[in-house]
Amino acid sequence: MKMRWIIVFLPVVTVVAISLAVKEYAARASAPQTAPDVSAPLAAGVTPLSNGAAIPDTTLAINSSTPMSQRIVHYEIDAHYDATKHTVDASETLTYHNLTGQALDHFPFHLYQNAFQPKATWVREAKVMGSRDTAYEKWEDKEYGSEDIKTFEVVGQGDLTSRLQYIQPDDGNRDDKTVVDVKLLKAIAPGEYVQFKIAFRTVFPETEARSGWKRDFVLGGQWFPKVGVFWHGAWNCHQYHAMTEFFADFGVYDVKLTVPQFEVMGASGIKVSEVSNSDSTKTLTYHGDDIHDFAWTASPRYKVKEDGVYQGQMGPVQMRILMQPAHWSQVERHEKILRESLERFESWYGPYPYKTITLVDPEPDSAAGGMEYPTFITGDSSWFMPEGVRLPELVVEHEFGHQYWYGMVATNEFEDAWLDEGINSYSEVKVLDSILGRNTSMLNIAGINLGEREGQRLSYISAADLDPIAEKAYDYYSGNSYGGITYGKTASVLLTLEGIIGEDTMAKAMHVYFMKYRFTHPDKEDFLKTIEEVSGKNLRWYFNQAIYGTQVMDYKVLRIESFPVNWYEEKKGSAHKNDKNTIYRSYVWLQRKEDFVMPAEVEIKFDNGEAVREHWDGVSRWTKFTYEKRGKVVSAELDPDHKIQIDRNDFNNSYTDEPNPKPARKIENYWMFLSQMVAQALAWWAV
Amino acid sequence: MAEKQGLLSNGWSRMAHNKRYIFWFYVLNVTLAWLGAGAFNDAVHSIFDHSMRADYLLHGFRMAALIEMFARSEFGNIMASVAPAVHFAFLFLLLTALFVPGVLQGYAATYRLSREEFFRACGRNLWRFIRLLIVAGIIMGAVAGALFGLRGVLAKKAAESTNELLLPEARFAGLLVIFLVMTMLRIWFDLAQGDVVLSDQRAVRKSIAAGFRHTWRNLGRLLGSYVITTIVAVIILVAGISLWIKLVPPASVLGAVLVSQLTLLFLLIPRFWQRGIAVSYYLGNMVEAIAVEPITPVPITPAAVSEAIPTPEIPIPPPEPLES
Repeated sequence: MKMRWIIVFLPVVTVVAISLAVKEYAARASAPQTAPDVSAPLAAGVTPLSNGAAIPDTTLAINSSTPMSQRIVHYEIDAHYDATKHTVDASETLTYHNLTGQALDHFPFHLYQNAFQPKATWVREAKVMGSRDTAYEKWEDKEYGSEDIKTFEVVGQGDLTSRLQYIQPDDGNRDDKTVVDVKLLKAIAPGEYVQFKIAFRTVFPETEARSGWKRDFVLGGQWFPKVGVFWHGAWNCHQYHAMTEFFADFGVYDVKLTVPQFEVMGASGIKVSEVSNSDSTKTLTYHGDDIHDFAWTASPRYKVKEDGVYQGQMGPVQMRILMQPAHWSQVERHEKILRESLERFESWYGPYPYKTITLVDPEPDSAAGGMEYPTFITGDSSWFMPEGVRLPELVVEHEFGHQYWYGMVATNEFEDAWLDEGINSYSEVKVLDSILGRNTSMLNIAGINLGEREGQRLSYISAADLDPIAEKAYDYYSGNSYGGITYGKTASVLLTLEGIIGEDTMAKAMHVYFMKYRFTHPDKEDFLKTIEEVSGKNLRWYFNQAIYGTQVMDYKVLRIESFPVNWYEEKKGSAHKNDKNTIYRSYVWLQRKEDFVMPAEVEIKFDNGEAVREHWDGVSRWTKFTYEKRGKVVSAELDPDHKIQIDRNDFNNSYTDEPNPKPARKIENYWMFLSQMVAQALAWWAV
Repeated sequence: MAEKQGLLSNGWSRMAHNKRYIFWFYVLNVTLAWLGAGAFNDAVHSIFDHSMRADYLLHGFRMAALIEMFARSEFGNIMASVAPAVHFAFLFLLLTALFVPGVLQGYAATYRLSREEFFRACGRNLWRFIRLLIVAGIIMGAVAGALFGLRGVLAKKAAESTNELLLPEARFAGLLVIFLVMTMLRIWFDLAQGDVVLSDQRAVRKSIAAGFRHTWRNLGRLLGSYVITTIVAVIILVAGISLWIKLVPPASVLGAVLVSQLTLLFLLIPRFWQRGIAVSYYLGNMVEAIAVEPITPVPITPAAVSEAIPTPEIPIPPPEPLES
């Protein structure tokens, strides 16, 4: 065939080939949506109570013979997933143990999926503050999500569906339906149990905020009515915001999921049973103990590796990894970082008590990557992922870290996001430093490298002066500020704290904090006081600025200067350049450019080889050090051991008397190369 | 195949015999880039020169230091550095358009073109080339826009597939098709340029028509040659960058400059090779043959001469005798 016809046919062939290759998933026969069975039998080991409620007591899914948490809630859910409509029809039985010490006459519930509606607070905020998923420039039907309660019964009090009332405790947005409150006919006394029987329907949006469907994949996160947390003497049940995550009580989950036969499943907890149904569906039953949420995923295309077992301090942990087919070559990489993260967390902070950890490599191009649920995390990768690009390692480690900071130390993610995301980012730096190298843990390719601690600092300095760390997640100025402060600043502040109290003391404090507060809901002062107790130091001066304040740090070597003491005797043309006996008077000026005050060291070097270290308290705006030595000052460097991670400008922390143009020339050469390349390419095609 | 090799080797030969053009274009390229980098260089020196932290970029390449440099207020707005570089790149494009006629004339000549002849060719064809540039820009822009649009639609369709690899494959296939089509257009206008310069064609539209005709008729031959030369360019670029990474120590600025600039110099070769190919093709296939009748020798005789010299219609009077 003549070449010209080949050229003509190539685009045509490409179009046809791609169209043919786009294999739409065959229409699946969805499982018939049977009426929710609200009278499903409770799990074995459940003691029935006189009022019809029950006390669940199992340790099936943890490596412990006794419960590790108070188990305030017990969720039993029987759910049917329609893979074509992306909906869940379910019945939920929630048994709540009132350990608040006071009578409870109303209960608020989260209905998170109602956030994905055009007038909801979540969407409003995402539109203004930015979202890592959808920009919401125009509304599309596939972005819609909902969580509708069909019937709501309180055992012993009857059907209270009509008493349900949407509330908006945070912003008063009457169109926001992410929290519903029910006023009971009779209060629940302290120590008593109450049982709710709820039939509901959830419609998932196309993946948003790490929940929903994409193509034939689904991640079922925040998908069922979930009761708020009675905390600090009141119900804590915030609306779902664009920048917030979640808060829930520990308990037991028994969840039945009925899905099409072809689905490959993963979920929180352990799989108890799998039964094939006559209608081309199957029902899988999962059980989780001492967890505060339950998520699941389904896709017909997962490739599964589940032979990996980690021998933990409390017993074996099965590592179940669900990979995308095109990423299968990366499965060992995923398992390796998961195993190494488990090792580090167990040895540094405390035991991982659960029997499983499920790692999901989610659908490409979905907003489902990088999410944590108890014993269930999602990673993030791509078909092309060179070893030197550490994205999978970074995400898997980070999400696994949440098993500790959120999963077990279950802080309030609405109000103290930094206690999970920030502390976890700090752990991430420590763990990845130890596994992948301090300066290479994010990127190490073709001689270019980037370390995780540098990445966290860069994130912080991009939003340094807008919000304090101790800010409610939904009160941040923007998404960038939320990310930069909650993750980046917290990690940088804690790394700097290592320099103040010592790395070993900090490690001990973290261990104590984990062991003391696991399976509880600590707040920021619990964390800060633990550090003060372990270090034996009053650190309020630091916490007030770094955690509660918006002070920014920028220290600078302002100037260095030397001249001979007997300069007035110097004759023209007889400079003291090479006279080793000349005594010089030298000055070093340091400046505190911003408002964060903390002590710092400075190292001053002289041309006779001498070096001195000075301590500056940083209180005054500037200070000066003076020397008379047989040598001129050649350089001054603030924080020579690089302990301070929160200085927003590292370049002005040092000053050399003689300029060194080599680094700039190196970068100039890169710039020249790029400019010339662009010019040549332009000329190549245009002339 | 032999023909294709002939075109390639012929084009190479023309390029090789006129290496000085490549050198001067390189000088132009590096000079303009240096001028365009002035603002960037000043900003970088102001941040780096007295800072010990700049060593992070000298001994290795710590990405964080580079990102922080861009974030510094002393560096200023990144556009203040990018804009001059882009302007000087555009200037390089215009100057290329100015000097290419001289290059084509030099490639077609059987002798070393004098400086005067070179610049005369440049001046004579300046406006013709600007017209060619405009027409080529319109056509190439429209075609590229349409093809990239189509590629976008295909990629969107491919993204719906459950086969993750289909999307990158579709994108790559799309790029390949765009590359081939754009190369075809480049050949068309290269031949038109040759025709304009070497036929001294004032009517640019005729050269464009001739270029299109010949491109279409000999597409396989020409496209094969151009694709091979482009592959050579890719090899030069990859080899240059690999050598830079593997052989040059991070702190060796001089080594980096040498390797990078040599790479850029060599990178000009394939395009000049393509111009050599276009000239070779023009001379071999596009120069119109002039029909000349054979000359029959005629013997010269007095009669023939007197026949050839016409008798004047007004008789010439005999000269009058001179008065003494």
